[in-house]
Amino acid sequence: MSRGSVGLSVIVLLLPLAGLAFLAGETASFEWTSLWRDAAWRASLAVTLYVTLVSTTISLLIGTWLARTVRIREAVWLSALLKLPMFVPHVAGAYLFLLLFSGGFPFYGLVEANERHHFVVILTYVWKEVPFVFLMMLGTYGQLNRGYLDMAKTLQLTRFEQFKVAEWPFLLKPLLDSFWILVAFISFAYEVPALLGVTFPELLGVLAYERLTTGLFLNANESYAVALVWTLLISVGAFVSYLVTAKRRRRIEKGVRR
Amino acid sequence: MRRIRQFGLLFALVFLSACGTTGADLAPTFDEAVQEAEQTTVNFYLWGGDDGINRYIDDYVAPRLKETYDIELNRVPMDTAEFIRQLSLDKRSNREAGTIDLMWINGDNFRNAAEAELLQGDLLDKIPNAALLNETAQATDAGTPTDGLEVAWGNVQFVLHYDADKVTNPPATFEELHRWTEANPGRFTYPEVTDFTGNAFVRHLLYAEYGETIRSDQTIPDAFWDELATWSPNLWKQGATYPKSLAQLDQLYAKGDVWMTMGFNERRAEAERNDGVFPDGTRALVLDHSIASTHFLAVPFNASNPNGAIVVINELLSPEAQLAKQDATYWGDGTSLDLTKLERADREAFLKLDTGVTYPDPEQLAERSIADFGPSVIDQVREGWSRVAR
Repeated sequence: MSRGSVGLSVIVLLLPLAGLAFLAGETASFEWTSLWRDAAWRASLAVTLYVTLVSTTISLLIGTWLARTVRIREAVWLSALLKLPMFVPHVAGAYLFLLLFSGGFPFYGLVEANERHHFVVILTYVWKEVPFVFLMMLGTYGQLNRGYLDMAKTLQLTRFEQFKVAEWPFLLKPLLDSFWILVAFISFAYEVPALLGVTFPELLGVLAYERLTTGLFLNANESYAVALVWTLLISVGAFVSYLVTAKRRRRIEKGVRR
Repeated sequence: MRRIRQFGLLFALVFLSACGTTGADLAPTFDEAVQEAEQTTVNFYLWGGDDGINRYIDDYVAPRLKETYDIELNRVPMDTAEFIRQLSLDKRSNREAGTIDLMWINGDNFRNAAEAELLQGDLLDKIPNAALLNETAQATDAGTPTDGLEVAWGNVQFVLHYDADKVTNPPATFEELHRWTEANPGRFTYPEVTDFTGNAFVRHLLYAEYGETIRSDQTIPDAFWDELATWSPNLWKQGATYPKSLAQLDQLYAKGDVWMTMGFNERRAEAERNDGVFPDGTRALVLDHSIASTHFLAVPFNASNPNGAIVVINELLSPEAQLAKQDATYWGDGTSLDLTKLERADREAFLKLDTGVTYPDPEQLAERSIADFGPSVIDQVREGWSRVAR
């Protein structure tokens, strides 16, 4: 590795750390219980978890299933088609869905933008993130050793058991990677929920931005505190989930290389 | 290693150069300011959510400045609260040469900026056209004395606009408007109170309920929020959500989803209607009272080109520029000048502009004009309204 790339990596790493240090400095004297006492933040946490987990889970399921289908059926056209939403920015996607779903089209009253069930927010995220999961999993399926599957078939395992022993162990790592990337991204984003969400409850990113920009520094500390806590929570979550699966992943990776 | 060192040096230089330059000083006289400002750029930060306003700046003001003073006007559209916040960060980090030269400001944003000492003072003496200003409009900004920290740019009143093709029997008071929403569920809403206009609408209801007493009490009774909550079931989306901004409400109105919109500036719907954005049947609706609001221009404490900003303000206050601003072609914004101080021809040109299909009756509007509540009420509306939106 050249010196230049080491330097660049250090800078890339230092920027978020500097950001975290700034957040920690700003919230040094913050009264943390005030966050929990504020009904707006409580409701925001609940709706954020709901939207994030539902969108992420659905995206992972559909993305993986599609990657599997494309590999098994060798459907190249499907793979090209699936990449299309990746070229649409999130704001544009959100606006597209706002246009589609604010005039009562296509299921009047059932799925509409700016409703508390947040279906259209979830739909937008699924539409945008499925191609991402698809690409992540397509690589995995490409590298998958077919030998395991053949062996499982030879042993006359049921289809579910075939999947469980010959595919699932290899999917775990990319799925976890995708999961945390999507959670980090969706849970604190602004554009999509700002356009398609509701006045109350607002998703964390929207509420944080609103508090941040009201007045001078009136509520800025709150937003800093939430950003700090959320970043730490996600980092810890990702770290723990890797620890828990570390042994298994290492064994599988060695197995693949052998 | 050498490369890293060079890179580090470059990195440090970028930061040093940002810190090193100091903000320019205001020239003592206007003529000197004009000379200093030649061939410079003025960065004008203003809310950019209205097409008419943007066109007025880009198509009318900017070319005039270029021609008369050789000044390049750079319009930067941004939410007011956002650039005030940016300035307060500048202040905290002692950034002496800022990016903002001139800004459009009023209300609680001005109060915040004045309290945090983000503005240059003594503007009025340096601007010749400030002598033409309407002194009442110039004196206070939503209850806060202006103290020469800002210069009145326009003077407007709050009105509602409705589509007469759909609303056959328009309400005459805020109480009747409430009844009207009950008879026409889903056809009315107002922006969230974090929005300037949405907050003002709620202040009108506050005045309808309690009149002048809020001014002396300065606290909003809980009963008011209970009363306001009774509006919700009949609003757009059953009040489960509200438009985030006036622009979003205008879109709903343009699409025909709701039948009324609102806003400061009694002439704001004319250009929209003429362009076919708003329905043909758009008419003004003045209810029991209407808050009068003045909006202002100010120069930040760390403006890099304060002289250019002064020249631009003077130009914006000229009778010609004010007349073009009030004309429905662009913006339709009321003048901040005192018509009695103008020359006769100018005065008559202003009076001639008072006809438009969507304009309210000027006398009726003047009669029902009330002064705005102070910033503390605006803050309270923001705090208390969350109960209604829940």
